[in-house]
Amino acid sequence: MKLFRILAVWCFILFATTGLQQAQAQPEQTEVEFSSAPQPEIEMADTLRQDGKIYVVVVVLLTVLVGLIAYLVTLDRKVARLEKQMRD
Amino acid sequence: MKKNWWKILAVVLLVFTVVAGMLSDVPRLAILNETIRNLYFHVPMWFGMILILLISVVYSIKYLRNPTTRNDVIAYEAAKVGILFGVLGIVTGMEWAKFTWGEYWSNDPKQNASAIGLLIYFAYVVLRSSFNEQQQRARISAVYNIFAFAALIPLLFILPRLTDSLHPGNGGNPGFNTYDLDSRLRLVFYPAVLGWTLLGIWIVNVKSRLEILRQRLYETV
Repeated sequence: MKLFRILAVWCFILFATTGLQQAQAQPEQTEVEFSSAPQPEIEMADTLRQDGKIYVVVVVLLTVLVGLIAYLVTLDRKVARLEKQMRD
Repeated sequence: MKKNWWKILAVVLLVFTVVAGMLSDVPRLAILNETIRNLYFHVPMWFGMILILLISVVYSIKYLRNPTTRNDVIAYEAAKVGILFGVLGIVTGMEWAKFTWGEYWSNDPKQNASAIGLLIYFAYVVLRSSFNEQQQRARISAVYNIFAFAALIPLLFILPRLTDSLHPGNGGNPGFNTYDLDSRLRLVFYPAVLGWTLLGIWIVNVKSRLEILRQRLYETV
């Protein structure tokens, strides 16, 4: 358990520092440069976003995620209860 | 509750990944279009797999130094969850490839190498199930696990870079490098990697505890 915690903290520090470094090193880099040709019109889901329907997707994805996590939480609780019974 | 803070962190990061991953601004790129958002869901599967398999190897080494049931169980459960992440990674990669590379499977070096890597880990599960004697099973599969991890790293990270690959970051394809630097992508990508990895560790945690309980039950009965 201790190892998990150390690993989690380690990962967080690693990602935070690399992310920070990159953010500092590349503050201006928001536009991606293409060749000298005029920028073609690139299709994105603009109308979907304008119609507001992307939020439907977000809600569906969140429902799936919350459902799966809730299931995992109940499993976790059940195992914890068994562990307690075993100890007694 | 104090011990479970990282599980809460996992939930928060995953919710953030889904919401920000769908709604945030992303670079407008030809061919990729909106599929660039797969970066938050496909790539973390592989990062998560590597980190969880690393946990598996660490516990295998720990088992060889100190042969306890706990070390063996965690190594095995972590390997299985790592394989799950790898399978999800390869399937999501195929789905993404269909719409950007044109084929589900184009025998790309990155695809082939990751398939071989997964087969090596499938063999780990098969090898493990072929022993009846508990200590023999634990020791031999721990040794195999170390070799499997050592083979996986060059397969995923070195060999595809030596040839031409369609996969970003490999061969002569700078691909993601241009927008890897994009801080908008990083802002969601790193939390996504951490969130998915923590979810995997959580599954390993629950499964190992259950398996340890089961084994202890057999000992007492």
